[in-house]
This record gives sequence, C-alpha cells and structure tokens, in this order.
Amino acid sequence: MIGNYLIGLREGLEASLVVSILVAYLVRSDRRHLLPRIWSGVALAVAISLGFGALLTWGPSGLTFEAQEAIGGTLSIVAVGFVTWMIFWMARAARAMGGELRGRIDKAAEGARWSLVVVAVLAVGREGLETALFLWAATEAGTRDAAGAAATATWQPLLGAALGLATAVVLGYLIYRGAVKINLSRFFAWTGGFLIIVAAGVLSYGVHDLQEAGILPGLTTIAFDVSGAIPPSSWYATLLKGVFNFSPTTTVLEAAAWLLYVVPTMTLFVRGIRRRAVAPPVAPSAGHPGQSAQRTQPATAPAAR
Amino acid sequence: MRLPLPLLAATLVALPALAACTQNAASETTGSSGDGTVTVSSTDDACRLSSTEAPSGRLTFEVTNDGSQVTEFYLLDQDGKRIVGEVENIGPQLTRQLVVQAAPGTYTTACKPGMKGDGIRADFTVTDSGTKVETSADEQAMVEEAQEDYRAWVQQQSDLLVQRTRAFVEAYEAGDDRTAKALYPRARTPWERIETVAESFGDLDPRMDAREVDLEPGQEWTGWHRLEKDLWPARAEKYASLTQQQRKQYAEGLLANTVDLDKRIGGLTFTVDQIANGSRGLLEEVAKSKVSGEEEYWSRTDLYDFQANVDGARKALDVLTPLLRARDPQLLTTLQHRFDALQQLLDAQRSGDGFRSYDQLSQQQVHRLADAVNAVAEPLSRLTAAVIS
Repeated sequence: MIGNYLIGLREGLEASLVVSILVAYLVRSDRRHLLPRIWSGVALAVAISLGFGALLTWGPSGLTFEAQEAIGGTLSIVAVGFVTWMIFWMARAARAMGGELRGRIDKAAEGARWSLVVVAVLAVGREGLETALFLWAATEAGTRDAAGAAATATWQPLLGAALGLATAVVLGYLIYRGAVKINLSRFFAWTGGFLIIVAAGVLSYGVHDLQEAGILPGLTTIAFDVSGAIPPSSWYATLLKGVFNFSPTTTVLEAAAWLLYVVPTMTLFVRGIRRRAVAPPVAPSAGHPGQSAQRTQPATAPAAR
Repeated sequence: MRLPLPLLAATLVALPALAACTQNAASETTGSSGDGTVTVSSTDDACRLSSTEAPSGRLTFEVTNDGSQVTEFYLLDQDGKRIVGEVENIGPQLTRQLVVQAAPGTYTTACKPGMKGDGIRADFTVTDSGTKVETSADEQAMVEEAQEDYRAWVQQQSDLLVQRTRAFVEAYEAGDDRTAKALYPRARTPWERIETVAESFGDLDPRMDAREVDLEPGQEWTGWHRLEKDLWPARAEKYASLTQQQRKQYAEGLLANTVDLDKRIGGLTFTVDQIANGSRGLLEEVAKSKVSGEEEYWSRTDLYDFQANVDGARKALDVLTPLLRARDPQLLTTLQHRFDALQQLLDAQRSGDGFRSYDQLSQQQVHRLADAVNAVAEPLSRLTAAVIS
C-alpha cells in the first residue's frame, strides 16, 4: 500500500509542480482566459498516456524496452527545453508588466498560447506513459481479484496509487496557493529559480533514460551513491525524486548534465532578476537588494501610465 | 515568441510510431516455438524464477512483486553491465511484464527490492531455438562498438610500428647489426598484425614490403626486405653489402614511408565486413607466404610474422564476437576452438621471448601448422556473411 502510494505521489508531483506554477502565473498576470489551454493540455496528456498504456497492456503489440526508454528520455529533454523557455518568457513578461505597454504582453501570450498547451502536455505526459502502465497493472490486479481467484485484497495497489496521485494534486494546489499569495517580483524570482532546478532534474533523468536504453554511454560510471542514506523507497527519497528528480545513485553523465544546465541557466536568470531589480531609474535603496526587489514593482508601475 | 510547434507536435506523434514495437503475446497459453514466459516472484529478500533457462526469441518475464517494497526487475548481459531490458516501479502485489527479444547466450537476472544496489542476481541461459532474433538496436550498438574497437586497435598498432621501426632503423644505420637483427622481427610484428590494412595503400605497400623475387622489371627494391637481406646475407650468392650511404638512404626511406602510413591510417574507419574480410585476408597471408617460409627468406623469422597475422585475425574476431554471438553462436564457438588449437601449435615453437627460426621446423611441424591454418580459414570464410546478415 505504502509503496504504491509513494509511486503515485512521486509521478504525480513531477507533473503537478509545473502545472501549478503555470496556473499561478496565468492567474497572477491576469490571464485567466488562457487557463482552459492549460487544462486541455493536461487532459490531452492524460488521455494520450492512458490510451497508449491500455494499448500497450492489452493491444497486439508492446514497446521494446529501448523504445520505451528512448521515448521517455527524449520527451524529458524536450520538456526541459520548453520549461526553460517558459521561465525566461515569464521573466520577460514580468518586466513588461512592470513598465511597458500591456499590448506587448498580450502579443507574447498570443504567440505562446499553444506553447502553454505544449508545456502542460509535456509536464504531464512525460511520466504519463510509465504511470499509465503502472495504473493499468494495478487495475488488472483489481479485476483479477474480482474474477474471484485470489484471497488477497488486490484493489489495494490501485487505491494506493490513486491516493498518491491525489496527494500530489493537493500538494500542487498548496504550492499554487502559496505562489499566488507572495509578492509578484518574488513570485517570478522564486518560481523561476525553482523551475530551473526542477528542469535540471528532468534533464538528468532524461540522460539516465537514454543511458539505460544504451543510446548514451556510462551507465555504470557512478558519480555518487547515497542510496544507503536515502533509500529510494523512503518517503523523503520520493519527495526528492518527485520534486527535483534527485536520484540517490547518480551517474557521472547525469551529474554533468545537471551542472551544465543549472550553472549557465541560473546565472542568466539571476542576472536578469538583478537587472530588473536595480536598473529602473528610481532605486533609492540599492544598498539593500532584498528590499529593492520589492520596491521596484510599485516604483515603476506608475511610470507606465 | 513563436515556437516550432509543428515540429514538436510531429515529434510527439512520430516517436511512438517510429519506435520499434514488439508483438504482445496473443494469449498466455500460446505454445508456439520460441514463445517463452518465465514467471518471476520478487520478494524483499529473494528473486525466484520459474525457470533459469528459456529458448531464444520472444521472451516474457511476468514479474510479480510479492514483497512489501517497490521492486524492479532487470535482464542484463553476461557481465551484468548492459541492460537488455527492465521493468521499474513494480508496486507491492502488482504484476508487470518485461518482453524482450533474446538472442542465445548467457544473461544475468536481477530483482531490486527497494530499488537500490545491484539487486539479487542470478545467471540466466537462453538456448538456441533456431528462431531468428531481431535485436536491431542492440546490434547497431554492437556494430558501432566493433568498428570503434577495431579502429582504435589499428591506430595503436600503427603507432607501435612507427616507434619500433624508428628504433630498428637507428640501430641499422649506426651499424649495430646485432641489435638491428633482434629488432627486425619485432618491428615488423605490428605491420603484420594490420597487414591487410597496410596493404590497402597500393603505392606504399610495394615500397615497404616488396620481396626481391616479386619485383617488377625496372622497379627499385626498397623497404623491409631490402634491409633484411643486408643484415642476413648468408644465403645470398656473391652479395655486396650496402654502403653506409645506401644504408642511410634505405633506412630513412623506410621510416618516412612508415610515418606516412601512420598518418594515412589515422583517417581510416572500418565497416564490419571490412573487419571480417581483413581477418580472412590475414589468414590467407599466413597460408600463402608464412607457412611456406617465403616471407622472411633471409632472416628466417617467418614465425614472428605468422603469429602477428594470427593476432590480427584473432583481434578482428574478438571485436566481432558480440555480434557473431547474436547471429551465429555456432560459428563463433568453432572459430574460437580452432584459433586456440592453432595458437597452441605456435606456442610450441616459442623460444625465449620470440620464436625459433623457420629452418628449425621439421617437415611434419610445417604440415601440422598448415593444417591448423586451413582449419581456421575454412570457417573464417563464413564470418563476413554471418556478421552482415
């Protein structure tokens, strides 16, 4: 029960994090009318995953192991590209909100509206196939029991996984609530920075998939192995994996991919935030960066009118 | 900001479509040949398989997690390094399937309760059922690895050739015949190992490796054998030793050609059929001029060349082994046995860190070597067809 719960939680968290931040962003920037796009993206991903999962479970053909890993790995890397784009798009739009004409933001949103769907599809669909296969296996266990063979209550795995997914959605909602409450410039700084770490995890996970498929080398060249201290089946490993895609046993190539992504991306991002916080003409408290970030917003807003 | 959305959409749709699909079993009761199902029970401290052997072809592992921790099941290669197939995230009480196309051979199975460590491992044998196994992705990787291994090895031998030739040439030029004689067969060893590659440069080969008897009218005799005759003129009639000037000229010519060869080899890549054909070619070299003692007419160091040709042929077989194991394990076994038998005969002729002189071989020993060479050459002629099929 616990094991299946944790799997549901982990797979669900990976998706709900990005979706909740995406939704929070649209709400914060007064673009609620774009929300249906996010939801349709999520629905599309769920439908595709369940459909493919069912097809592979009961249909005439299944995916080879390499194909499964190659799809998962490639989708992950594509997802990283989109999430990265989103982070910088959000940051740019945030600046626009502060000082530029509204029309320009809407233009950006207009051009990007389909991209929002794609980000949602990728966020959910990336791990969707794996989750769907898992859910169908759980369903199978349930129906096998219904047929009257086993004495054990085999609906338990399905229930566990479903509860895990539900918990992930709740956590996603809480993050959304928290994100909606915080100050706007902080919102962009924190969610952006957070998403960069998440995307780096997705990238390194994608690299791992491709290593397993034999497309990339070095599967047995381990950078570090802390699976003794952080057992992969524990709840905290589940959270670390669900949020940051942290793997207790990380290969050198995974670690390298993580660093090569995080360092330049984070540098660019932080530089962008700083510039936004300091650059406006009115910056009386430049000596206190923590405060100036908060003041920038009200200080520049009137200038736009 | 516009994104290449059509491109992405196409990728999303095409990926699963392009990906290699494998047939799901029509039903669990099918008894057709090569359709094996192995049930696996993974508990917190054990990994029980219904059988540790299955026929090659489509193979299904029905993995049930009978433990309390989330588990994983892996099918690994013999060394336990490369993943042939895996199912992750098998929750307690769940059954998941792993379907693989398994070629005959030895594998390792592993259950990983708690998803950490190396797991509970055991050997697993896939017997030859006669069904053709399609493992295209695997085989593509094997092909690339073989090509790269062989390329790296050829390069290494070529570097060694330059290094040893330089030492030989220095001793020879300096008039230190004793050292030069000792170095001669050893310097030629890397050359003979990659002889089929070296010979592929039609201009360099005659300049470097021509024998006196094979000279075309009007062709100047240079290269290894020119120096060989000068160092071992005993069998020559009325031989006039080279002058210091001539020694220098031929020695430096040989070294320059060797350096040139090394440069050209640096740009080469080899396909598996070239590797396989090269292996056969080297054995033919042995049969043609080494067994008969014609190659090193003056120095009588033919057995060094013999060994080097065999080394080269064997190296080609070694890099092609994973591929051949998948395609024709029978042929692989035959070749390995016959190479071993040939090597045993050669080892019997060792003396110190080298080989006995060809003159010391009895007629009978030459015959036995020739027979062993033919015994390898015959199955070796089928190697190319087997690895490119």
